[in-house]
Amino acid sequence: MKIWFENIWRLAVLMLLQLLLINNLHFLGICNPCIYILFLIALPAKLPHWAEQLIAFLTGALMDLAANTPGVHAAACVAIGFARPKLLHNIVPDDDRLIGTVCTRILDTPAYFRLVLAMTLIHHTILFVLLNFTFHALWLTVLQIIVSAAATILLILGRELLRQ
Amino acid sequence: MWQFLVKYSNLLLFLFLEAVALGLVFSYNSLNHSAWLSSANRIMGGMYASWSNLTGYFHLRTENEQLSAQNVELLNRITALENRLEGVNEALLPDSVSAYIYAEKHLNYIPAKVINMSTSTQRNFITLNKGSRDGVEEDMGVVDQDGVVGIVRTVSERFAVVIPVINSGFSVSCRFLSNDKLAPLHWDGVNYRYAQLEDVARHVEVHEGDTLVTSGLSDAFPEGIMVGVVDQAKLSESDIYYHIRVRLAADFHRLGYVQIIQNKTRAEQKKLEKWGTEK
Repeated sequence: MKIWFENIWRLAVLMLLQLLLINNLHFLGICNPCIYILFLIALPAKLPHWAEQLIAFLTGALMDLAANTPGVHAAACVAIGFARPKLLHNIVPDDDRLIGTVCTRILDTPAYFRLVLAMTLIHHTILFVLLNFTFHALWLTVLQIIVSAAATILLILGRELLRQ
Repeated sequence: MWQFLVKYSNLLLFLFLEAVALGLVFSYNSLNHSAWLSSANRIMGGMYASWSNLTGYFHLRTENEQLSAQNVELLNRITALENRLEGVNEALLPDSVSAYIYAEKHLNYIPAKVINMSTSTQRNFITLNKGSRDGVEEDMGVVDQDGVVGIVRTVSERFAVVIPVINSGFSVSCRFLSNDKLAPLHWDGVNYRYAQLEDVARHVEVHEGDTLVTSGLSDAFPEGIMVGVVDQAKLSESDIYYHIRVRLAADFHRLGYVQIIQNKTRAEQKKLEKWGTEK
């Protein structure tokens, strides 16, 4: 029961932070970090695969509703929801022993960093390609992906360090 | 078959969810996507409005400066109009028929506050805190003290969603102040400060610094509202049309208060024009 409250609380805080603060910081128009994916990264390690995908889809759809971007966040979130168990298994071969919220308490920092890096890159690539669905601004899309992913990763790791 | 489904159930679920999401993305253009412009809905609108109330205080100083500047400008215009009116009255003989020509359009401005906006995607939107109960309707023009902002796309009871100039689906007919040539303005989705002019043929004289205003040919905007200034006009040997970059008058990062233009004669004009096309 506690883990439910913990996750719902985390989702609410991250969503509000994302919508009210981060989406209002216009940094040259290319840096748009998505801190809310920390919710999907931190979901319990033992979550059934189907539940993880559904939760990811609903999280993305919620973000879409709030940000007027039909389907875009949902598509990006489903992809990382699908990828997380496989990534976890790749990064930590004996992932059966992982229990509870995925954070630096159950993963060592390099492994956690690799997980965050992979999930952020997958999410941001899909997100910005779908958001700017034109080819003439390809360089801009690539720049957006790199800069925003760097910002997202810094924010997530920064928060993790502060908590330690 | 059943074993196949069980074995690949996660993959199938993934493909299904992605298909739903991508379906939403790509039906965006073809469907009437008003239903998705959801920041006009009650919960999101309310949330953005209260947040905007909270953070609004940080911008009070610049807002005040802008408002006072606008006041001064309006006062100046009143004076100028009074002067002209006097001139007209003197010219009229006491017993002559009225030479007064009514203003072409009867306009009314609804003040509104920006409570949410995006500037970093190619399809940006702005949410305003005025809706149908304040008289806002679809397709009304929106301006701020600097110039054209956008056009109202959807309206709920208390909120309105605006398609701004910096949405790649937006286009507005502009007129060069210097030579009265017309051209449509588009945004290419790269920089929120600059938009592009297409369809300006090479025989037209275009200079950097030329002012662009609305043409008055669309019913959303009256004639002569500032759109932007030509920033760069390129023309190579083989080009038929100019590549023109326009610095937009409205600064979308500093948008605070805007005015929605209510054209009181629009319904009548529409009705007449519809009658004309049906004949």
